Amino acid sequence: MLTLTHFLVLAGLLMSIGLAGIFINRKNIIILLMCVELILLAVNLNFIAFSHYLGNVEGQIFVFFILTVAAAEAAIGLAILVVLFRRRQSINVDELDSLKG
Amino acid sequence: MENNLVEQDMSIYLAIVLAPLMGAIIAGVFGRYISRTMAHQVTIVGVAISAALSLLVFKHFALEDMTTINETIYTWMVSDGLHLEVGFLIDKLTAMMMVVVTFVSLMVHIYTIGYMHDDSGYKRFFSYISLFTFSMLMLIMANNFVQLFFGWEAVGLVSYLLIGFWYTRETAIYANLKAFIVNRVGDFGFILGIALVAMTFNSLDYQDVFAASTLHTESTIALFPGTHWSTITVICLLLFIGAMAKSAQAPLHVWLPDSMEGPTPISALIHAATMVTAGIFMVARMSPLFELSPVALNFILLIGAVTAFFMGLLGIVQNDIKRVIAYSTLSQLGYMTVALGASAYAASIFHLMTHAFFKALLFLAAGSVIIAMHHEQDIRKMGGIRHYMPITWITFLLGTLALIGTPGFAGFFSKDSIIMAVHASQLPGANIAYLAILLGVFITAFYSFRLYFLVFHGQPRMDHHTKADLHETPKVVTVPLILLAIPSVLIGALFVADMVFGDFFGAAIMVLPEHDVLATLAKDYHGIIAMVLHSFKSLPFWLMLAGIMSAWYLYMVNPSLPEKLSQRLLIIHKVLLNKYYFDDINSTVFAGGARQLGTFLSRFGDTQVIDGWFVNGSAKLVAWFSSIIRHIQSGYLYHYAFAMMLGLATLLVLLLTTVISH
Amino acid sequence: MTEAIIFYLFSTVAVVSALMMISVRNPVRAAFYLVLSFFASAIIWLLLQAEFLAIVLVLVYVGAVMVLFLFVVMMLDLNIVEKESGFTRYFPIGIMLAAITFFSIYYVLGQKESGMDVFQSQPLSTAASHVEGYSNTKELGKLLYSEYVYAFEIAAMLLLVAIVAAISLTYRRRPKTRHQNPDLQVSARHEDRIRIVKIPVEERK
Repeated sequence: MLTLTHFLVLAGLLMSIGLAGIFINRKNIIILLMCVELILLAVNLNFIAFSHYLGNVEGQIFVFFILTVAAAEAAIGLAILVVLFRRRQSINVDELDSLKG
Repeated sequence: MENNLVEQDMSIYLAIVLAPLMGAIIAGVFGRYISRTMAHQVTIVGVAISAALSLLVFKHFALEDMTTINETIYTWMVSDGLHLEVGFLIDKLTAMMMVVVTFVSLMVHIYTIGYMHDDSGYKRFFSYISLFTFSMLMLIMANNFVQLFFGWEAVGLVSYLLIGFWYTRETAIYANLKAFIVNRVGDFGFILGIALVAMTFNSLDYQDVFAASTLHTESTIALFPGTHWSTITVICLLLFIGAMAKSAQAPLHVWLPDSMEGPTPISALIHAATMVTAGIFMVARMSPLFELSPVALNFILLIGAVTAFFMGLLGIVQNDIKRVIAYSTLSQLGYMTVALGASAYAASIFHLMTHAFFKALLFLAAGSVIIAMHHEQDIRKMGGIRHYMPITWITFLLGTLALIGTPGFAGFFSKDSIIMAVHASQLPGANIAYLAILLGVFITAFYSFRLYFLVFHGQPRMDHHTKADLHETPKVVTVPLILLAIPSVLIGALFVADMVFGDFFGAAIMVLPEHDVLATLAKDYHGIIAMVLHSFKSLPFWLMLAGIMSAWYLYMVNPSLPEKLSQRLLIIHKVLLNKYYFDDINSTVFAGGARQLGTFLSRFGDTQVIDGWFVNGSAKLVAWFSSIIRHIQSGYLYHYAFAMMLGLATLLVLLLTTVISH
Repeated sequence: MTEAIIFYLFSTVAVVSALMMISVRNPVRAAFYLVLSFFASAIIWLLLQAEFLAIVLVLVYVGAVMVLFLFVVMMLDLNIVEKESGFTRYFPIGIMLAAITFFSIYYVLGQKESGMDVFQSQPLSTAASHVEGYSNTKELGKLLYSEYVYAFEIAAMLLLVAIVAAISLTYRRRPKTRHQNPDLQVSARHEDRIRIVKIPVEERK
């Protein structure tokens, strides 16, 4: 029998993979962004699982807004990447240290 | 019935106060839009309204015996039951002061047209003197300490502005700064006194305070822990410190001679007739408080005696026409103060009034001479002027006779009353004070006639150019002189019976029966004629005559003698020339000390502690801290991500341990 | 039983493709693995009866966002030669952190003290089963357009701002290109175009 725990463990697993991905691919900024998307997916899964468990649709409303924000974030993030690349001919994270104190 | 109507109507008093203020505002703020003529017209009309209404009020009080008016017009604020208000207390004392102030002020306004004719600050000057009239009226008409303090400070401000009227002269700037600082010392005491009044009586209204004053005769205050001081005495002494600065009593007198840097009309109005008498007026007004403190009265008596005698001496060695009269003013203020100390408030106020007229007259006449001499003030360069300026000569002579107390003149009645009152006083210091003011009569006569002879008699000593141009001054100058000469001669005889020996002031002045020296004297008073006749048999008259004769001998008969005398008495002469070294002591001990303290505080306190430790120190601390913390800020994205994740993991583990521990 | 099979199958797909995504070097491949992971998740969402969101996930994420990723990757002309640099150095730490995170979540879920052990014993849905003709989309829509209408509009504004921001960030004005200016074209008058010059008549010599 499937229980809520199954879904929650799956979500935890996905999120941990996303976290690990951020470490492993610390040089590649595009994959970093993808990892963030993966983490968001895990969060959304949690919301939907609880929404189903409690029989309350409002959790799904939340997911809806998260998707919206994530889409906007991805669009702007990628736009910034494009501008960055245009200016420096590189998106190598090692070279992006202008914020150094 | 008519009296009641007038009593109800406060607008007349408001008009008296506000008319000069309007004039001052129009001439001052809108000065650039109006002509010079317009400026003096508008201010003179303002003061004339004030003077006319004051006369009316005086008539109500003096002839129709109106009852005292005490009303609040406006409440500024109420703080913890303490009312700060604007209000008028009008009684006979106030009414008399109002007449003196507005009348002298009006004369000075008119006189100024002539004196300041060629000055570029003409409109500014008119604005200032009208503002002064307003401030002085606020001071004397106040019914509470706050308004008194307002007027007190406002007249001080105008005095400051007018001493420094010719602000391009360095000496004028020095003089007004000096006046301001010395008055600050007095005002500090004054406001402390007011604060103590507020603390003790929880009210600043005269009536409340006076009514409650007898309840506090036994109360004490601990100025230093463990000591007990009579509250009333402390209040009186503090208030009198304010009066000492304002009325130029030793040792806070040093500003008054220097204030002669201002234009002469101002010397007449502010530094002789009205403002400097504010201290005298204040003490008389506070008589219900001062009467309760014999210690304060004795202090006042001695200060007054010292001032009257020693400041008179200084008048002998001065060569500036205005400074001689300034020292005479100091000495006469000393007389008034002595009378206050002897509880002869009425005599003091009476002398204040007569002095206002004849001293204003002397100053304005001196100013007339100065105009004719093309602003030369050194009496060694004058002489024989009586032939050229008859009106000035006669009026000056009348003023001088009034000043030295020639029997029959105004000054005689007031000054003789004071001398007799002090003689009758039972206070411990009364004997010394009596001696001092008795000798003061001789000195007064001596320096007054020295001045008179040097200026108006003898050989002309001015240069040819000035001499050729010497002539009587215009009517705007001489008419005020004549108008002032009339009260200088007559006013003493007219009012002495009522003011000094009668019960003119009534409830305005409170004297305890055991202090009431004037009541003792009143028993021996048998009319003006008798008083004049009696004086010929008394000591003051012969001292005065001796003063005149010695001045005549030294400066008319044998003019070379003063030089030899000053050689012989070199040390005394030097001490007198240096004004007892008061200025030197002040500038080295007080000013120099304050400056050194300031330098020390600036170097150590400000530069090192505040700037070095607090201001720059905190900045340096932040810089040091951030220079360490900045190493965390690598700029690499993955470092920040790492930090976030580490934080997340830490939080999760923390959550876990709390869950487990449950 | 069928549900369990579907769950295990697609969650395996999602987890494995997520693992692949973080381990491949090539961003294009990573993007495709992520797409696969999204697809699997969408099916799991279907299991949870969130039909509308499952479709949205596929349409918006797979159809738009991931395509955007691919576009950018191709546009940027990335140099994927420097592969191995730094991969191994942070690998253990990353794995460790992820493991700590996962196991603490896992532990909490099974604990009695946290009150989450009830999730294991209860059936997936505690609510009554839906009636005939129930529509997840309709229910969501009702809520969105009534109770959450302000948030919905704000979200719309957010998207608009994102569009404007993305365009204005990436828009490049090329000074050398020639283009028309309709404004100038419309306001032009014939006096500006033709100049009539009077030439004095000269006699032929």
